[in-house]
Amino acid sequence: MTTLAEKVPASATSSRWENARRGFYRFRNSWLSIAGLLIVLVLFIIAVIGPSIVPYPEHVAGSVSTATRFQPPSALHWFGTNELGQDVFSLVVAGSQISLLAGLAVVAVGALVGTLVGAVAGYFGGWTDEVLMRLADLKLTVPSLILAMAVAAALGPGILNMVIAISISWWPGYARLVRGEVIAKKEEMFVQAARALGAGTGRILRRHILPNILTPVIIKMSLDMGFAILTVASLGFIGIGVKPPTPEWGSLLSIARTYMPDYWWTAVFPGSAIFLAVFGFNLLGDGLRDVFDPKARR
Amino acid sequence: MLTYILRRIVLIIPVLIGLSLLVFAIARLLPGDPIQLAAGPNASPAEIADLAREFGLDKPLPVQYWNYVTGLVTGDWGQSIFTRRAVAEDLKVYLPATLELVFTAMFLAILIGIPAGLTAAVYRNRWPDYMSRVVSLGAISMPRFFLGLLLQIGFAMWLGWLPLGGRFPLTEDPPAFVTGFLTIDSLISGDLRAFGITLQYLALPAFAMCLSPLATITRMMRASTIEILQQDYVLTERALGLSSRLILFKYVLRNAMSATLTVIGLYVGWLLGGTVLVETVFDWPGLGLYATKAIVTQDFMPVIGVTIVIGGIFIISNLIVDLLYGILNPKVRYE
Amino acid sequence: MINLTRRSAIAAGTASLASMVLGGPVDAQSRKILIIASSQDIPNFDPHIATGYSASMLLRNTYDSLVRVEGNPPNPVPHLATSWTVSPDGTEYVFKLDPAAKFHDGSSVTAEAVQYSFNRLLRLNQGNAWMIQGIVDEKSVQPVDAQTVRIKLVKPFVAFLQVLPWVWVVNPKDVEANKGSDNGQTYLRSNLAGSGAFRVRRAEPGNLYELERVANAWKQGGGNLTGAIWKITRETATQRLMLQRGEAHIAVDLTSEDMDAIKDRPNVVSVIEPEYRTFSIKLNTKHGPLADVNLRKAIAYAFNYQSLLDSGGYAKLMTGPLPDGIFGHDPSLQVYRTDLAKAKEYLAKSKYPNGGIKLSIAHVSGLEQQRRWSLVLLDNLKQLNIELDVKPMIWPDMVALTRSPEAMPDFFCVYQTANYGDPDNIAFAAYHSSRNGNWQNPVYANPKVDDLIMRARAETDEEKRKALYGEFQRIVVDDTPDIFGVIEKRKLALRSDVQNFRFTPVASNAIELFPLSLR
Repeated sequence: MTTLAEKVPASATSSRWENARRGFYRFRNSWLSIAGLLIVLVLFIIAVIGPSIVPYPEHVAGSVSTATRFQPPSALHWFGTNELGQDVFSLVVAGSQISLLAGLAVVAVGALVGTLVGAVAGYFGGWTDEVLMRLADLKLTVPSLILAMAVAAALGPGILNMVIAISISWWPGYARLVRGEVIAKKEEMFVQAARALGAGTGRILRRHILPNILTPVIIKMSLDMGFAILTVASLGFIGIGVKPPTPEWGSLLSIARTYMPDYWWTAVFPGSAIFLAVFGFNLLGDGLRDVFDPKARR
Repeated sequence: MLTYILRRIVLIIPVLIGLSLLVFAIARLLPGDPIQLAAGPNASPAEIADLAREFGLDKPLPVQYWNYVTGLVTGDWGQSIFTRRAVAEDLKVYLPATLELVFTAMFLAILIGIPAGLTAAVYRNRWPDYMSRVVSLGAISMPRFFLGLLLQIGFAMWLGWLPLGGRFPLTEDPPAFVTGFLTIDSLISGDLRAFGITLQYLALPAFAMCLSPLATITRMMRASTIEILQQDYVLTERALGLSSRLILFKYVLRNAMSATLTVIGLYVGWLLGGTVLVETVFDWPGLGLYATKAIVTQDFMPVIGVTIVIGGIFIISNLIVDLLYGILNPKVRYE
Repeated sequence: MINLTRRSAIAAGTASLASMVLGGPVDAQSRKILIIASSQDIPNFDPHIATGYSASMLLRNTYDSLVRVEGNPPNPVPHLATSWTVSPDGTEYVFKLDPAAKFHDGSSVTAEAVQYSFNRLLRLNQGNAWMIQGIVDEKSVQPVDAQTVRIKLVKPFVAFLQVLPWVWVVNPKDVEANKGSDNGQTYLRSNLAGSGAFRVRRAEPGNLYELERVANAWKQGGGNLTGAIWKITRETATQRLMLQRGEAHIAVDLTSEDMDAIKDRPNVVSVIEPEYRTFSIKLNTKHGPLADVNLRKAIAYAFNYQSLLDSGGYAKLMTGPLPDGIFGHDPSLQVYRTDLAKAKEYLAKSKYPNGGIKLSIAHVSGLEQQRRWSLVLLDNLKQLNIELDVKPMIWPDMVALTRSPEAMPDFFCVYQTANYGDPDNIAFAAYHSSRNGNWQNPVYANPKVDDLIMRARAETDEEKRKALYGEFQRIVVDDTPDIFGVIEKRKLALRSDVQNFRFTPVASNAIELFPLSLR
């Protein structure tokens, strides 16, 4: 969750290794974080190999089997079948790829744009900083879900459009974070030295500053993943999301909603998949935050 | 102090202008031709041009913006192209509905979150603490729309305790409109029965919405209580023999207030923007449903109106929270 | 009384909250309010502009027309007009108005009012104007005396009485007083000027519309309803649950799955009746690969009609372009049924003997049945090595696409409902080339078909007319401008305490309140 993630590490460089070692120890000792890590690992494995091992790959591609509609869960169909006779298990497994990819893309685009904006603002300061940061503040006041809905609806359905729509509201958090880090790093010795040696602005940013702020950005990304997946599913649920036959979890749930409670399996499994994925990332992110920000948990 | 407050209030104005500019720009830069849509399938080009003129959409963008902003100030928030209703009028009906839901959710979150956080702090690293951590993380991970569906099935369908959705029984007239908050309006009119009914309709959607702020408030209460328990003066007092219950009571109140404030600051805007999911599930006639409908039909004015209202509330609630912080912690007053 | 039962159920359940505040006895109410759950809003009350079944519901209860439809099959019966005569050549109708008929303001419904209403409809040329376009012009409707009106048709139109129930009569005095610069459109958008048995009591756009019985309405009798609420309930599942719990008396947008779910529930009555509502997939016969008739035939043979039916619930397959049971429909018509061998045969004759192309289909986003059928098509086209891009869109955007053959997708999903029980309704709107660029017939044009439609329209001899429609159907099937889909059955569900509901296969979801009673 973005709002929870604002407090990010301010670890001193000198004792970085020591901190990391202690952090890892803390992480290993927290079974919740390990559980999160496991869920996320399983999720990634399913996303990578799932689509090729699902029992009914043709259903994922949109084939229908109208003779076997609404079958309850059985050995043949672990999660039952839906309104078109498609195997819900296959769809949910294949959906993991879409949700993970979309979530990653949203976070990556957000981080990329935010890092650029933040780095430029922090490095140049002055009015550039002022303008960019006021813009970021403004963006934070605009309700992100409504904005994403409006943009996605205008662009039409499709994963790419959905990612664009969501990422639009995603960068300000990163911009703030990176700007702070850049301002801090800018004054440090090695940057001053590089500048004295005649390195250009681009080079300093690229070679000396950005690599040093990578860690906090990556941690924020991992913290944001759960929320990104949730937002993707939300758009799908409202019905502004992917094109059929893409088996996206949110849209699966939105369609299945009509069949509750009689054909509960069509809704419960996609819904639980969303919950589990988000839960896994949140547990992991929470553990990671503990590692890098010992103050947050004692 | 007074100058500080005044300065903060004046500083809001450029932010509001920026907000209106940003929202307007986004709305107009998106593809889609609402006039074409609104004119209907049989409209001739001349009719379409007429409609565009009627809504001022034939003018250059800066002029459109200027007209819009001057309208905002004078209370004319434009018209929906589809229903031809004034956006300001619609907002007057839908905003209170949504605010009532958000406030109730917030209230629930505070009501449950503060004792939960306290318990977790007192039993730090024992099972109540772990429980609260798992439950909090689970709560923010649960898609509100999925939870809403499950609540509906459980409490409305199976148990039959609570209504399925909506805000008030259809066949009855809601209490006379004063604030638009049915809870308040029913109390004003002295109708306790209506108040009870209103609460029944609020219960499920408010609960579905309260989980995120609840999780946050629990964890903040926990962290700050732990901090206090470890502070020197508390240790001293404890050494002097004050019971830990008394100490907790003594310091927790202020603590609870600042945790609450922070959550309100963080969440009012977020919940307002996010009600759409819960409103969809529970058929709650509020801003979210209104915005969804406008978005689907690419109806500019309602979308802009809703966005500005939510943005404005976000800005103002943050201001209030900041000011209250200042009163609560004199140290941060002159940032 | 529904109110009481629900309230007592709630009170019994929520002992915690409710008992404290609910305590007091429920005030006795004599109101009988029928609640209808529907997914469609009523954005406009203007009787000469608004369309859609939600608006039809509002209008047929708040306005009156010369005749009404009733029964199954639907028949025109007296309403404002107590009787009428038709000239032998079918071009002149004389209606006698009911002298008791009064608008809500107490003034009489006169022949002038009828003339004013027809002319306003024609002048605005929106809403239901297409029903009388080319048949009635501004000079056609002439008052003979205050209670007699003569309508001279521009050309004979056999189905004239069938369209009259949808031409509403407005109060000219009221409209003229609020005319503004737009023929009173602004006024009538949210105000009524009618003579119907009900009027609007409460309008909350996007949420609900409450109607109440007009105390001194000219039409007396009917059921015991004192009012009705049109509750916008977007999800069909919610509509169903409301019905099950007694929170709604009638649900009008249920899916087949919903109907299955309520089948054995107590206190719920299902209505599953054939209606003239068809689903078909229009093909772009003018632009793109489907301009090739052999490819169209290949696809029509490759299509899995059984899957269409399986996933369509309460429906039956169409035989040709006209719905079953309508006048002139030929049940023995040879139409396409799944036959992969023939599909391959025609594919070989087409310009794309090995497939390898990608086509697109547009369907209305949120219409679950259309999504399912698009997926059935996607599945079937794979057998011809053709890919399909499924595009869910909002309806207005889809309509915009039909304006030019280039913009129109290869496949285009449409539901068509016959607003009047005559084949001309569908034949003209969906296959006459003058309707090109409209959603019902974006591109299809065949001069021979045009000619047949125009001749059948004017033919008063039943047998000859039937023969003309027979030939029309054969040619259209051979041209394959559509994949003829299914006739959906109308699916309504009522609480058993709703009395006197009689099904009519025309606009049956636009519930007529007057005869209904609540127990």
